[in-house]
Amino acid sequence: MEKITNFFKTFLLLELVKGMALTGRHFFARKITVQFPEEKTPQGFRFRGLHALRRYANDEERCIGCKLCEAVCPAMAIHIETEERADGTRRTTRYDIDLVKCIFCGLCEEACPVDAIVETRILEYHGEKRGDLYYTKPMLLAVGEKYEEQIAKDRASDAKYR
Amino acid sequence: MINIEIDGKHIDVENGCSVIDAAHQLGIYIPHFCYHKKLSIAANCRMCLVQIEKAPKPLPACATPVAEGMKVFTASEQAVKAQKGVMEFLLINHPLDCPICDQGGECELQDLAVGYGGSASRYHEEKRVVLHKDIGPLVAAEEMSRCINCTRCVRFGIEIGGAMELGQAFRGEHAEIMAFVSDTIDSELSGNMIDLCPVGALTSKPFRYSARTWELSRRKSISPHDSLGSNLAVQVKNNRVMRVLPIENEEINECWLSDKDRFSYEGLNSAERLTKPMIKQGGKWLEVEWQVALEYVANGLRQITHESGAENIGVLATPHSTLEELYLLQKLARGLGSHNVDFRLRQSDFSADSKQTGAPWLGMAVADISLVDRFLLVGSFLRKDHPLLASRVRQATKKGAQINLIHATDDDLLMPIVNKEIVPPTEMTTVLAQVLKALSTIKQATLDTSVQQIVQSVTLSAIAQAMADSLASGERVAILLGNFAQQHPQASQLQLLAQHIATLCGAKFGFFGEAANSVGGYLAQAVPFAGAEHGMNASTMLTAQRKAYILLNVEVELDMQDPQQALAAMGAADMVVALSAYKHHATEYADVLLPITPFTETSGTFISSEGRVQSFKGTVQPLGDARPAWKVLRVLGNMLNISGFDYNNSEAVRDEVLGGIDVSAKLGNALYDVSAQNATWNVTGLQRVSDVPIYATDAIVRRAASLQKTRDAATPRALIHSVELEKLNLQSGEMVKLTQGQGSVRLSIIADDSLPRGVVRVAAGHTITAELGAMFGTIRVERA
Repeated sequence: MEKITNFFKTFLLLELVKGMALTGRHFFARKITVQFPEEKTPQGFRFRGLHALRRYANDEERCIGCKLCEAVCPAMAIHIETEERADGTRRTTRYDIDLVKCIFCGLCEEACPVDAIVETRILEYHGEKRGDLYYTKPMLLAVGEKYEEQIAKDRASDAKYR
Repeated sequence: MINIEIDGKHIDVENGCSVIDAAHQLGIYIPHFCYHKKLSIAANCRMCLVQIEKAPKPLPACATPVAEGMKVFTASEQAVKAQKGVMEFLLINHPLDCPICDQGGECELQDLAVGYGGSASRYHEEKRVVLHKDIGPLVAAEEMSRCINCTRCVRFGIEIGGAMELGQAFRGEHAEIMAFVSDTIDSELSGNMIDLCPVGALTSKPFRYSARTWELSRRKSISPHDSLGSNLAVQVKNNRVMRVLPIENEEINECWLSDKDRFSYEGLNSAERLTKPMIKQGGKWLEVEWQVALEYVANGLRQITHESGAENIGVLATPHSTLEELYLLQKLARGLGSHNVDFRLRQSDFSADSKQTGAPWLGMAVADISLVDRFLLVGSFLRKDHPLLASRVRQATKKGAQINLIHATDDDLLMPIVNKEIVPPTEMTTVLAQVLKALSTIKQATLDTSVQQIVQSVTLSAIAQAMADSLASGERVAILLGNFAQQHPQASQLQLLAQHIATLCGAKFGFFGEAANSVGGYLAQAVPFAGAEHGMNASTMLTAQRKAYILLNVEVELDMQDPQQALAAMGAADMVVALSAYKHHATEYADVLLPITPFTETSGTFISSEGRVQSFKGTVQPLGDARPAWKVLRVLGNMLNISGFDYNNSEAVRDEVLGGIDVSAKLGNALYDVSAQNATWNVTGLQRVSDVPIYATDAIVRRAASLQKTRDAATPRALIHSVELEKLNLQSGEMVKLTQGQGSVRLSIIADDSLPRGVVRVAAGHTITAELGAMFGTIRVERA
């Protein structure tokens, strides 16, 4: 019985027709190719891109120098130095992220008790020479200042799942 | 012995033992906060609640003594429920600021909260707020809301430190720890409260916010300061010493550390560190390469040896140097042909040189101090010179030991003193002779001829008789001589008299020892009488000015008995080679500065006052171009073609010094061929009494910023008895001019009636008093 069906399948080129039908379906279907950078794919609010250091609304930096992100970082990409600021608070004197080492796992964000270090939606950044991707505290703070609105919105959307 | 059962395991323990101690012996951990093995039991944290069979309620394991057949359950449902309940209460008022808390990562509360705490709090009301306090430059009490009122710090102050500087005020919800009497903690052991605090209420001020505990690597070292040889855990991050903690050693420092050992690390990173070899050319200092500097030194020494003979070279080292450094230094000097080498910089009486049976040492093990029942302390600023030994003595007094004190000042030792005789330095031998006289009567012994003359010449005082009675009644007696007695111009007479007193009452007899390697210096032969030929000692080397000096770690104006004389000798010398870790006053008189490393950057050995040999390794890399002194001396030895300078490591040097010898056989305090005369030392007018303040003893502590902010490091003042002050027609608080020899300084003078008449107390070892002369002797006081 099997032999007979196989004979007819071969004879009638049924497989070929099936394959062409698939090709045909996709030929007329809507295209999903995105013409980057003119077009962009949608991003989730948990997207883990470039890092940023945030500030509070009163312009005070959030980071308290607890070094939990440094401790948790599996790639050892974060380097922090701290001291007591004149007003007695614990602050960083140095907060560096080596984005070449970073694996964008998001654990730093997860560890941060004050939501200071965050990963933004930004993925379009580059360095032209060695060292360009070594982000220091002023650079990270600048990213935070520039995109604060988006960052805050994303944290708010994620808040209910935490 | 009592047999009890804990979690199904049987153990025999001493009667009176607590359940928590018994559990610890079995290796069963019972959570606790207020309990500490070295402190009394307070039982106020309630964390150690355990279930005990037949007891209706859970009982605190720390305060429950064992009873025969007792059955304890440390992890039963009832016990764990009680412990979790206690933890919930403790966390009610504890702030959730672990991320910024310096204790985070080594916090007992944090650790136990993981095991016993809930994942979320049921408490939503306002938390208790306790205001922060400023209690001095060493201990930070900035976040007293974190305090869980375990009172470990309070008990430490009372029981170990000797003074209640912290106390718990108010009750219940309002209870808080605060500084009592004065508003700061001035104890020389205050840093231990930081270790004791189970939470982050008391933290280290110098270390504050500089690193987290998990970033630090922990390396073993030995204290280079006092003669105890405390075991240190040096914590390092990025090749920089971040802090120092104790390593527990029951025979030495127990689990404590003096503030000097704990906070001196700040001096290691001082801006004054010398990082490049320097040569003075035409009055200007030039930074040069090691090769250039060492060749300059070698040529200079060769020239002086050639032109005026090697005996024109004087070699001085501090007793804070390692055994290896001292040994190579004397080997270098002797290789050149000079026997003028000494490390006893503050000593003034050298008449007992080579009449000593061995290196002066403690005469007993440190641990045995707590067992002594009668002390005779002679000339010791015990609390400031030997903070942890003082604590050992204090523990002995708690067990009923009597202390007899003969000294020139009456500083509060924070322990009961049975008999004390506070006399001017010139009369100290007389007092000792009186005690000896009284003792010989009690014991009906004939005295040795060496002391007969002095004993016959004194008349017995009531206090000396009382001291003799006290000593004679003891079973385990110790006669201990302090730094003051060693620096005393009649040191050998004091030693001889003390030796005879010790013989009469069968006592242990010894010296506290001035520095980390005071014993090691003798074993390293860094003394002028160690070789076949005798050279000049630290004092004659300066009076008979030499053409060249080699200084190892010495700041002559601060480390020597007579700064005036020392500076004059340095100024007159043709060549001064200073091996130093710091750029200091030597820039004025030296010709070459060779940067050497402090103890954290070199390997080495210290021999403590009890004769314990402790070697250590470097904990961080040398700073800049600085190099360990033993390496510098090795290269210098090779350059000068002195044989036997081919060592591969510091261990090889140590083995050459100590290999095959029994260190204990090299120790000895007895004198022979010395006889005590009548007090021949006369001073006209006022005489100077000087201590070396606790934070002025060596180069490292002098540069430890936080220690220099303490009360102990305050600007020196002249202290004098009010009667003498009246005679001089001066007011307390007035500025006066103090003169010794050619030098004079201006200080404020303060009346202090605890001092004997006829003395002025002025601290040595301080830049302000460096213009003055010897630590003992005549001093003139005038209105400024």
